[in-house]
Amino acid sequence: MFRVILYGQWKWSRLIVVVGTIAAFALPIISVQGAAGADASPLHAQELLRTVQSWGSLYPVLAAALGLLVAIATWAADHRGRHVHALTLPLPRWRYVLLRFGAGATLLAGPILAVLVGALLATATATIPSGLQGYPIALALRFAVAVFVAYAVFFAISAGTARTAGIILGTMAALVLVQVLASLADIPLNLVDVLQVVILNWPGPLAVFTGRWMLVDV
Amino acid sequence: MSHAIEIEGLRYRAGSFELKDVGLHVPTGSIYGFLGPNGSGKTTTMRLVLGLLRPLAGRIAVLGSRMPEDAPSILARVGYVPEQPHLDATLTVREIVTFQAAFYPTWDRAVAEDLLRRFELDEGKVFARLSKGQKAKLMILLALAQRGELLVLDEPTDGLDPVVRRDILTALLEYVSLRKATIFISSHLVHELERFCDWVAVMDDGRVVTEVPMEKLKQGTKRLVVSGAPPSIGPTPFVVLSREPANGAAERWIVGQWEPAMSSYFAGVGASLVDVIDLDLEDGFVELLRSFRTSRG
Repeated sequence: MFRVILYGQWKWSRLIVVVGTIAAFALPIISVQGAAGADASPLHAQELLRTVQSWGSLYPVLAAALGLLVAIATWAADHRGRHVHALTLPLPRWRYVLLRFGAGATLLAGPILAVLVGALLATATATIPSGLQGYPIALALRFAVAVFVAYAVFFAISAGTARTAGIILGTMAALVLVQVLASLADIPLNLVDVLQVVILNWPGPLAVFTGRWMLVDV
Repeated sequence: MSHAIEIEGLRYRAGSFELKDVGLHVPTGSIYGFLGPNGSGKTTTMRLVLGLLRPLAGRIAVLGSRMPEDAPSILARVGYVPEQPHLDATLTVREIVTFQAAFYPTWDRAVAEDLLRRFELDEGKVFARLSKGQKAKLMILLALAQRGELLVLDEPTDGLDPVVRRDILTALLEYVSLRKATIFISSHLVHELERFCDWVAVMDDGRVVTEVPMEKLKQGTKRLVVSGAPPSIGPTPFVVLSREPANGAAERWIVGQWEPAMSSYFAGVGASLVDVIDLDLEDGFVELLRSFRTSRG
């Protein structure tokens, strides 16, 4: 069963996966390209860290994009068929969802491995100034966690009906409205900051996306 | 008599549409036609039978098990052809067959290959590019190759040309005769159902109007030509579905549950029965609906 589901999902999401894998492989290599053959002076070390840090902001973006697109592609065919085919298959619904989730997660292994290979290659070929170190495995692990978190969140949202999407969007609109009304009434309420702390700061569910994504660091 | 599908007191609501106390009894091994105008609740009832929807109340038993509680084990024994094709439009015919085979332990590869050949389906063509007739054939192929004991077919031949309809019906009848399976089929093509159904149920506005053996419906529904009938009549041994006044000439009555021995009734009320005309299923169906709607005001 898993094999045929995986094949179907590969057919719908192969473009996303292939482009994502190429980007994931290229990102670590491009981020340290300035270090290749350069001197090992402290000045160069600072420049390298700046470059690595600026490129590093693309890892969470790539992870979120991959999670989002693969999750949407995972449910696309079922949504088009109004889930009738899936619901008439002779297996419990939770098992079908698990098969779909597993197939999407398997496809995301490609970009994750690409980050690992790209990062290992980048740190092996670049001249890293003394005092700095490469963290290819840590970066790849963090990328993997971010990809799976994004995939899980968007998978759950995509699995829902239009009503679920409406509830989510309605909740967000209500929060924005409350914030606007509070501002107009001079009430000291900052929902955006509160949400940011709860969601994006550790141990918030999306904390993995924030902070510095450094392939090379002190 | 055992029943492949048994529904009692089924209630369901979606928006303004409602199924009200639906009861159906599909005998095992029968071909059971499910008739009704658009929006009468046929597709909703079939979806409830398959566990796609959850009822508000009532009991559904399919192949001896409770639905939706035992849905996975029941669905392994049921072939389903929905009103609208629901398959992944990006997969080819061969990929869809392979996909389906992976989920059914009873999958009959030989049947699938035979039907692929007989239906002349292009294995490499993606589902989205198949014609309406080819899609219908593929859906039937999938339902039959599962070797289900029950086939639930929601207007499987609707909008198809006569040749494709004939191909599909032939395959269905062969399957039933070979496997003694039960078919629960809805269709707008009343004449088509008339040819091969053993039982028929008629649905209107979320209610079951009647559920009878096909022969009984056909034999029992007549157009009577009656002269001299009083304007008001008391209880009758048959069911008067409609009565068309005729300004002095003979009236035409449409009656149900008619038997020849009932002719004597007319002498008792001072009328005479001039003629008894057979109705086909379509006429009977229309008159049944008209009578049902009139009785509900």
